[in-house]
Amino acid sequence: MFSEQAAPTAQGLLAPPSAEPPTFPRVPVSGYSDCSQPFQLGERSFSRQYAHIYAVRLTGMRPRLERRARSRWGNDIALRKLSELQAGEKCCVVGTLFKSMQLQPSILQEISEEHNLVPQPPLPKYIQPSDELILEDELQRIKLEGAIDVQRLVTGTILAVYGSEQDDGRFLVEDHCFADLPPPLPWNGPSSDRFVLLASGLGLGSVSGEALLSTQLLVDVVTGQLGAEGEQSCAAHITRVILAGNLLSQNTQSRDTINKAKYLTKKTQAASVEAVKILDEILLQLCTSVPVDVMPGEFDPTNYTLPQQPLHCCMLPLASAYATLRLVTNPYQANLDGVRFLGTSGQNISDIFKYSSMDDYLEILEWTLLAGHISPTAPDTLGCYPFYKSDPFILTECPHVYFCGNAPHFQSKLLQGKEGQRVLLVTVPDFSATQTACLINLRDLTCQPITFSGFGADSED
Amino acid sequence: MEQPRRITDSFPRRLRRRGPGRPPGRLKDKKDKKDRDKDQDKVQVKVRDCARSPSQPAPDPALLEMLRRFDLCWEYGPCTGITRLQRWERAQELGLSPPGPIRDALLEHRDNPDVTYRWVGMGW
Repeated sequence: MFSEQAAPTAQGLLAPPSAEPPTFPRVPVSGYSDCSQPFQLGERSFSRQYAHIYAVRLTGMRPRLERRARSRWGNDIALRKLSELQAGEKCCVVGTLFKSMQLQPSILQEISEEHNLVPQPPLPKYIQPSDELILEDELQRIKLEGAIDVQRLVTGTILAVYGSEQDDGRFLVEDHCFADLPPPLPWNGPSSDRFVLLASGLGLGSVSGEALLSTQLLVDVVTGQLGAEGEQSCAAHITRVILAGNLLSQNTQSRDTINKAKYLTKKTQAASVEAVKILDEILLQLCTSVPVDVMPGEFDPTNYTLPQQPLHCCMLPLASAYATLRLVTNPYQANLDGVRFLGTSGQNISDIFKYSSMDDYLEILEWTLLAGHISPTAPDTLGCYPFYKSDPFILTECPHVYFCGNAPHFQSKLLQGKEGQRVLLVTVPDFSATQTACLINLRDLTCQPITFSGFGADSED
Repeated sequence: MEQPRRITDSFPRRLRRRGPGRPPGRLKDKKDKKDRDKDQDKVQVKVRDCARSPSQPAPDPALLEMLRRFDLCWEYGPCTGITRLQRWERAQELGLSPPGPIRDALLEHRDNPDVTYRWVGMGW
């Protein structure tokens, strides 16, 4: 762990302890500002349809796409609406994509009694060669064919297509483009080494307790109770810890108590109660030493639809006594020491994974940034709040660090944009499976994984 | 509490001759029939929140017609589930420049549910 930076003259663990125990003050918190106000919902009203969010998404992203289309295919191309299309004329159309998939789980098929069908089991991917792409704008829709990768794209993306309408009513695409990277933010990063620890998928409350040792090692490293003085002084450079979702394990979500009779389940406690108590104790240890941002995830006790609201502080009585604990929304956006962080707990990326041929989480993360939208599949296949005024998932500024939690592996990439954007893309791995967290250096936007595995039975051979 | 609307309200009412010995519950139907005859020509079903206060001057039909045309303009997005004022402000923020007189009319008749209404479809 930052072993290159450990002071070479520092005492190793085999030396006797120094006469005066040294103290390492943690680097002080200098600019922090929370920018996730668009994701915080006040009063929620679900009596609206989802047409509003699609309309606002298209209207909001249309100017940017028209600018991109003009810069790519020439200033004099014809920008047409679908109602103004003429057969054979080469033009550009901006619209929302819809992918009609045969295997997409549909509630209507499930409740269709005449067919007596068993609902289909959840599949890892729902794509099929017979899927079709349809472009919709405010009034009409048209089928797309041609130079466009049907398997790769997902519903809800706003894109511009260049081509012409055929005689059979389909649109032959010659080229297409997305909104591309949003405009860059000015860089105010720190001049000295400062680290942020990103971890996700702690998975507390699971049946096996192996991950608890790794979690305790993580807490000990961050609070400076592990390692010799070299490692402790390096740990003092960690300014913040962000826990990106799935603090509770999927096992806490067992639903068999619903099917059992009430007299059998009266005294059983929900599994999540015990898990939240463990979480509270872990957060207490962390909060005494470092500011912690806790984002909810798919299996955490908060609402299901995106944007997920912060966990309630009454669940964490011990840890919420400290001001260093911040319970934040999913997605989360904040300015840490002049560096803009934006990230989710991974539900948007795993939903795109299910409906697209893209297999690599880092590739999907980069694609969402280039498409200009955090989660285009919401509200089609991912639950979403029915916004009507504006779509808060549209990326208006390019963040410096863009992460997603609960990925299968750790991956990171520094993306450079044409307008001077520099984005560090990080896929934070699931801690309960990989025991790996990420350390991001804010000075030069580098990222390194840090693994906390204990000695298990499989390492003896 | 007004009568609950049924999907059959928009269907044409057929009078059927019933023989003697009516099934129970007939009296209730008789009362409903009186209400249904009143609004048989209405195709859209609107849910009214409260009765119009008699002290305010009634908005003239030209104003209501203008507001209805504003609702059906596709440029400003869907009109269901939000009030007209919310729709106007949203169009303003997205830079679609909705006409100013509509907003003045909406603010002038703020208490009148016919003017400010959120169009709610049947069954919501």
